Amino acid sequence: MGTITDQIKIMTDQTKMPPWYLKDIYRYLSAFGVLTLIYIGFRIYQGAHGISSGLDSTDPAFEIYWMRLFNFNVTFITLFAGLSWGYLWFSRDKNLDTLEPKEEIRRYLTLTMWISVYTFAVYWAGSYFAEQDNSWHQVAIRDTPFTANHIIEFYFNFPMYIILGGCAWIYARTRLPLYAKGISLPLTLAVVGPFMILVSVGFNEWGHTFWFREEFFAAPIHYGFVIGVWFALGVGGILLQGVTRLIELLDEIEDAA
Amino acid sequence: MSSKLSTQTFHHYIGEKARIARAYDYLVLVLALFLFIGSFHLHFALTVGDWDFWVDWKDRQWWPLVTPLIGITFPAAVQAVMWSNFRLPLGATLCVACLSIGTWIARVFAYHYWNFFPINMVMPSTLLPSALVLDVILMMSNSLTITAIFGGSAFALLFYPSNWPIFGMFHLPIEAGNSQLTIADMFGFQYIRTGMPEYLRIIERGTLRTYGQIATPLSAFCSALLCTLMYTLWWHIGHWFATTRYLKKI
Amino acid sequence: MTTINNHKLTKMLTQINQSFVKEIQQQEILKSLFFLAIIFLAYMATFQPVMAHGEKNLEPYVRMRTIQWYDVQWSTQKFNVNDEVTLTGKFHVAEDWPISVPKPDASFLNVSTPGPVLIRTERYLNGKPFMNSVALQPGGDYDFKIVLKGRLPGRYHIHPFFNLRDAGQVMGPGAWLDIGGDEADFTNNIQTINGEIVDMETYGLGNGIFWHSFWALLATAWLLWWVRRPLFIARYRMLKAGMEDELITPLDKHIAKAILVGVPVLVFAFYTMTVNQYPKAIPLQASLDQILPLSAKVNAGVVDIETLRAEYRVPERAMKLSLNIKNSSDKPIQLGEFATGGIRFINKAVSIPDHNNTESVIATESLSLDNPTPIQPGEQRTILITAGDGLWESEKLDGLINDADSRIGGLVFFYDSEGERYVSSITSAVIPKFN
Repeated sequence: MGTITDQIKIMTDQTKMPPWYLKDIYRYLSAFGVLTLIYIGFRIYQGAHGISSGLDSTDPAFEIYWMRLFNFNVTFITLFAGLSWGYLWFSRDKNLDTLEPKEEIRRYLTLTMWISVYTFAVYWAGSYFAEQDNSWHQVAIRDTPFTANHIIEFYFNFPMYIILGGCAWIYARTRLPLYAKGISLPLTLAVVGPFMILVSVGFNEWGHTFWFREEFFAAPIHYGFVIGVWFALGVGGILLQGVTRLIELLDEIEDAA
Repeated sequence: MSSKLSTQTFHHYIGEKARIARAYDYLVLVLALFLFIGSFHLHFALTVGDWDFWVDWKDRQWWPLVTPLIGITFPAAVQAVMWSNFRLPLGATLCVACLSIGTWIARVFAYHYWNFFPINMVMPSTLLPSALVLDVILMMSNSLTITAIFGGSAFALLFYPSNWPIFGMFHLPIEAGNSQLTIADMFGFQYIRTGMPEYLRIIERGTLRTYGQIATPLSAFCSALLCTLMYTLWWHIGHWFATTRYLKKI
Repeated sequence: MTTINNHKLTKMLTQINQSFVKEIQQQEILKSLFFLAIIFLAYMATFQPVMAHGEKNLEPYVRMRTIQWYDVQWSTQKFNVNDEVTLTGKFHVAEDWPISVPKPDASFLNVSTPGPVLIRTERYLNGKPFMNSVALQPGGDYDFKIVLKGRLPGRYHIHPFFNLRDAGQVMGPGAWLDIGGDEADFTNNIQTINGEIVDMETYGLGNGIFWHSFWALLATAWLLWWVRRPLFIARYRMLKAGMEDELITPLDKHIAKAILVGVPVLVFAFYTMTVNQYPKAIPLQASLDQILPLSAKVNAGVVDIETLRAEYRVPERAMKLSLNIKNSSDKPIQLGEFATGGIRFINKAVSIPDHNNTESVIATESLSLDNPTPIQPGEQRTILITAGDGLWESEKLDGLINDADSRIGGLVFFYDSEGERYVSSITSAVIPKFN
């Protein structure tokens, strides 16, 4: 009786368990889930309070609904950066010389998951909330750098993908031998280039204050963002680094059914 | 010689190794999907976005000139990696499909549901026919030069005719305020935008015309020439970013 | 052998018990969520809706010395979806146009709505309809009329304003509008020159979705055609091993040829069909309207005014203006109002007929004169007026003294004994007084 239950238990466990090389798949999927909830939550919040309290930065309600959110975002982002980068650094692998090929393969797949989570955050920052910014500028007159969409886009979404990009970079640097021996140029480009988009916020706000007061998206004051995002193409180099190393590693391990 | 030798000794991965490789494929595909929606869309929106956002920006002079010119950038760069290393002729279609996904989501959920603009006023244009042709020209020719010249030109020349079935009907004339307007202009007048006054539009202003008042083909051919150059430039940019170097320090 | 643990009944009871406990837990969670929601709602209910549209952060000299609004009125402030409402008013374009603001060669008379909650159906400047942008002349006087139609029910604070090229938005006085009715009832049909009726809310949407889907289907098929095979690692190895021929099969090549020919043929076929379907299509219209100013309404030559000095007293929040006024009319006149940057400073000693039903920012008892006796016909007199109110600060106009161009501009309204009104504009550098 007991043996049958045990067997069933093992079988169900087996079907639930991902294969060894996808050990982190559930964490990966839950990261997508959590990020989706956060971003959709932001959009729902904007829908609920954008027009009622987000049109005038001198309104007291703006202070409550939007500046508090700004303060929350900045605090959260700072803490999250410290915690995630700190965790990845302090839990680093100090014996990379003895790393088994199988474990290295697994880590390459996990690195791909990290970069994938990073690009998912890039999607929300670079696509949805970025274009939504143009839409919001057709509704609210710009009277502050902290608009109902900027507070989310510039002070949560941009730092968020930077943190996740940084996580991918640190993960590679601390857990994969090739990335620990040398600094991967494409990975660094793909993380640092889009980071410069955040720095371009300064150029954007300067431009809108002194130079270009109208909401024309193709304006030169936005080109800082554009150049920053080109560096995302560094992912091509990361792919090639991954593929060549994975082939070496796969050739080292035994065939299995 | 060496390739021949290796062909003879080559064996495909099977079993677990094939599954690992396939798992890696899927992870990279999901990664690429969101990467290109995020990055290509941002690049596109901040360079030629206004022509794509608003129906009353889709003119004969600038829209068919600048949209393919910016639209060919990421496709060229991604083709450079996908074709040169994997013989996958899908770089352009992938990028443009990602762009379409990003723009449609934003138009529906930002412009329409949050800010009440009718979706028909903010419908995106399509570059998909152009991208399909660009991919197959690269695949058939396996040549940067031929793809740049013929693919780049086709990419630009197909843009306006493939979008006219979507947007032509917005150019029917109406009479309003003692003047002739298109339905598209009327959208701009009626559906109030606080940050996009009419004068901000960068659209065709009439001047002397050669070729018997023909406007669009001139823009399309000008764009074809520029796309040829842009394609080559971005092919190299794609290669440059896809470096596999490891540095001693940064 | 069946132990008590494995007994069916025990199992059932345990399950029931567990689900009961779960249910209680869920209820508790729901209760606390509900409680939180109540607190949150109460917290939200304590706030007033927004009163303005961010105009306060535009530099004071731009607000004071570009478009000077007055007599702004709404035909009604409570109406339903599909009802039309008319906004009328006047403005003077300041003579002393700021050096840092480009001349208003292209400007756009707009309405600050939070999205198209109303649509603009007609717009007139000096009685002439205009659909595009317009060139304004500094020193010119204009009246305007905008007809709007309710689209989305709600309560909105709405201003007329001008988009000025490279300068930003200069707001007129705002008003609360209550739009009632049902969003679903909204209709917006327009007629083409050919007589076809077009529903603007949905026109071309289904057609656009169809074409996007058509091409998306082809593109998806092409992508799936490749993605279904082993991709990166497998193809990279094969390519390096010189097995290029296996990576692109003859079938792939056939499909590619079909696309190469088929897609352009389809594109041009559909294009030709559309051209035949809409042979009367015209390009976007981009004319700039040229509408001449009215004959002078402000500085009409009856009351001449020269600003001798302007001082802003920081602690008292008061602007002191020394004005030399000449009354060339045939009746005695009194200074009733000074308006600048959206604030109206009223001299309560003078009865003013109200031309303005918008909730513009009014300082009702804020204007005082050192010599309040009427200025007689033909008399020229220098008077010192004081416009003192906390509004200088709350409307952020006191920032003027920190501006790069700290000059004031505004309109002064005089009334004669018959109630006739004379409007003059003033302008002057402002000298701050800090104690």
